[in-house]
Amino acid sequence: MQPFFLSLLIISCGGILPLFLWRRPLLMRGAGATLIAAGSLLGLVDAARQLYAPVAVTATVDLLNTVPITFTSDSLSAFFLVAIFAVSGLTAVYSFHYMDKSDHAVRTAVHYLFFSLLIAAMALVVTADDMIAFLLCWEIMSLSSFFLVVYSYEKEQNRRAAFLYAVFSQVGAMFILAAFGVMYACTESFAFAGASGMPAAIKLLVFILAMVGFGSKAGLFPLHIWLPQAHPAAPSHISALMSGVMIKTGIYGIIRLYAILEWHAPVLGQIVLAAGLVSGVMGVIYALGQKDLKKVLAFSSVENVGIILIGMGVGMIGVSAGKPIMAVLGFAGGLLHVLNHALFKSLLFMGAGMVLHRTGTGVIDHLGGLIKRMPITGTTFLIGALAIPGLPPFNGFVSEFLIYIGAFNGIALGKTNFVLSLLAIVGMALIGGLALAAFTRVFGIVFQGEPRSPSAQAIEQGPTMLLPMIVAAAACVVIGVFPTAFLTMAIQAVEPLQLGYGRIPLTPFIQITATITRAAVVLFAVFLILLALRKLLYSGKTVTRSGTWGCGFTQPSARMQYTGSSYAASILAFFKPLVPIEEDHPPVIGRFPVKTHYQSRTRDIAEHQMDRLIVKPVLFLFDKLRWLQHGDIHLYIGYILLAIVVALFFV
Amino acid sequence: MMDPVDTLLAMVLLSVLISFGSSRLPALIKVIAFQGVAVSIVPLFMGHEMTWGGIVFTLATLMIRGIGIPVYLSRAIKKVAIHREVEPVVGYHASLLAGLVLIVAAIYVSPKFNLPVGKGYILLLPSAITLIVAGMFLLMARRNAIAMVLGYIMMENGIYLVGTTFSMRAQHIVEFGILLDVLAGVMIMAIILQNIKKTFNDVNTTLLRTLKE
Repeated sequence: MQPFFLSLLIISCGGILPLFLWRRPLLMRGAGATLIAAGSLLGLVDAARQLYAPVAVTATVDLLNTVPITFTSDSLSAFFLVAIFAVSGLTAVYSFHYMDKSDHAVRTAVHYLFFSLLIAAMALVVTADDMIAFLLCWEIMSLSSFFLVVYSYEKEQNRRAAFLYAVFSQVGAMFILAAFGVMYACTESFAFAGASGMPAAIKLLVFILAMVGFGSKAGLFPLHIWLPQAHPAAPSHISALMSGVMIKTGIYGIIRLYAILEWHAPVLGQIVLAAGLVSGVMGVIYALGQKDLKKVLAFSSVENVGIILIGMGVGMIGVSAGKPIMAVLGFAGGLLHVLNHALFKSLLFMGAGMVLHRTGTGVIDHLGGLIKRMPITGTTFLIGALAIPGLPPFNGFVSEFLIYIGAFNGIALGKTNFVLSLLAIVGMALIGGLALAAFTRVFGIVFQGEPRSPSAQAIEQGPTMLLPMIVAAAACVVIGVFPTAFLTMAIQAVEPLQLGYGRIPLTPFIQITATITRAAVVLFAVFLILLALRKLLYSGKTVTRSGTWGCGFTQPSARMQYTGSSYAASILAFFKPLVPIEEDHPPVIGRFPVKTHYQSRTRDIAEHQMDRLIVKPVLFLFDKLRWLQHGDIHLYIGYILLAIVVALFFV
Repeated sequence: MMDPVDTLLAMVLLSVLISFGSSRLPALIKVIAFQGVAVSIVPLFMGHEMTWGGIVFTLATLMIRGIGIPVYLSRAIKKVAIHREVEPVVGYHASLLAGLVLIVAAIYVSPKFNLPVGKGYILLLPSAITLIVAGMFLLMARRNAIAMVLGYIMMENGIYLVGTTFSMRAQHIVEFGILLDVLAGVMIMAIILQNIKKTFNDVNTTLLRTLKE
């Protein structure tokens, strides 16, 4: 594991060095970005090499000479490492120009420290091989990302978002701790290895506890509340890193736990599949209703985590039903979607960051027509927006298609599995369709049409911000067009689950995927040829240009355009029971109506219910206990005495 | 002839009663100083193997407990011109009665702890418990901040008594750790006292109630 630790060392240097260079901001950002990117590149190469020649490597570190903590890297870890290091490298490069506006040099330096810590912690989380190592790295990851979210702490809204994130990550960590505690009580060892010998009921308990804990990190539906708050608060490359890979550590936790429990009961698959379906459908519906660009992307992460879990669920059902093809396709599809989502979501967040950085606003309805002044951002954002609903020939299609085939294989099974497979297919289709609507909405409103406010007149700048977007977009296309190598990687990553199926003839499926993407490429090529033909035929002729959505009006104004709300309104109306919308619209009455306006706001049903069922009662209870804090020092000492007496005699 | 340890401990128990009954701060400080001296020389008579190092440690303890802290507190009283009265919440007679009940209860309770502490010295564990609880009592039942600091020191004396029964080496490490805490604690309290005095023009701790949210 030498190259792995070396890359972490370089990344940490990239975090520490800026602390000493803060007097010279350019050098500081240069050192931070370069070192972190270089370390990530080294880690990426090492992890990719390990995926092609899979050997599990173990390293043990003695912590303070008392607790030995172990790190092991097998092909499952290596797969996640590929995603982590790829996105880290891209976002590190991106940060060089993104952070140029800030005149807080020290704060930027500290940001680089936590940035590097977060990357190192994520890499260590996916390689941790015992409970202590895992929890330690998990906490470092949660804390460093908290400090990154609270970067612009002057705004009260951001502080609240960071606090919410801290609450969710700590409560999640408590659940994980509880799950590990149960495991330790049964096996009396901190190692993960012995957990397969536990009784079935304990395994179920551990899995459910861990599912809640990891789910809160991954942004699973009822526990996703922090995502749409924290992402707009954090700097964009941090949102990209968190949404692209950090939430995937939750997914990693679930799949790793599945591997170490070695318990192939159908109930696990059912839980995971159901959670994935709820998360996917709800995430995409809420994404449609958001007004903030980054909030749309955050909810889309909730949706994609749902898709990944659907894949895992299909895989687990395949294992329990003894269908090797279904199992491998489900897991491989889910895992490949982890990588794919990491790529296109970080691409989209970086694009959103460019928009935010240049225009200063993330509100969709204030933007418009940006593709004319931001051609590279617009084009790469379009590629991401097409990849995310799973359209060929982009990468999202490949992974979702694998999950589809896996689910179709499950239709031949018995009653419950038949229903579940069918639900998975229908759910994925629904999610895909709605995601397409959500992203045509975002792309159409933000990048097309005419600017809706003066601030939307900005142009793109900063080569280090454009380069990562181009690389990520290229990766999306490459995975989509040449999926075979990446599919092999994903199938390699399924190996540590020890399903013991040996070689499965997957070539036909890969062939189908490849053929479809080829067809899409041909279609694309035809489109491009037509475009070239048009250009050729129209050369020399006069082409008049007028405003988009002009529709023949003599005095078109930017306010006549479709808005984000109006585009999504009909779909949201259909899902009204799931997405409560508050509308404020005085009706137009009479021949000479007075001035009217329209305002709508979607309310997060999970947030509302959680507030009603958990937060309010807890606050009520503690409000009733206010009298305990009376300010009298003598009675406080009395409390201490009481506590000692109780501890001595009753414990 | 009684064992010297038990004699010392009996005097310590008496000093608890005196401290409960004394109304003036200087007197209370003297009682606590005496108590500190008595407590810190207990290990000399316990039949441990006395090394030179051990004796030096014991003497150092004695200096800090018997002289250092009391002198420091006396100077603090003069400096901030504090009321000389301890301002009791529970009256002196009631306090005395409580002290007696406390000693009896401590003697009754101590065998139940079943600690390997004080084998052969009947009074050791009871006086330790008495000192700890009596210190707490002073903390709770006196409004004057200096009296509360003294209660804290009395508690610490009790903890030290439990520590005397450990083997010599471990005892000194533990004891010096505790002493360091106490010294730091007393100094911090003296600083806080000055601040309380400055803010409220008094060191009556019930005034702190106004700081409540």
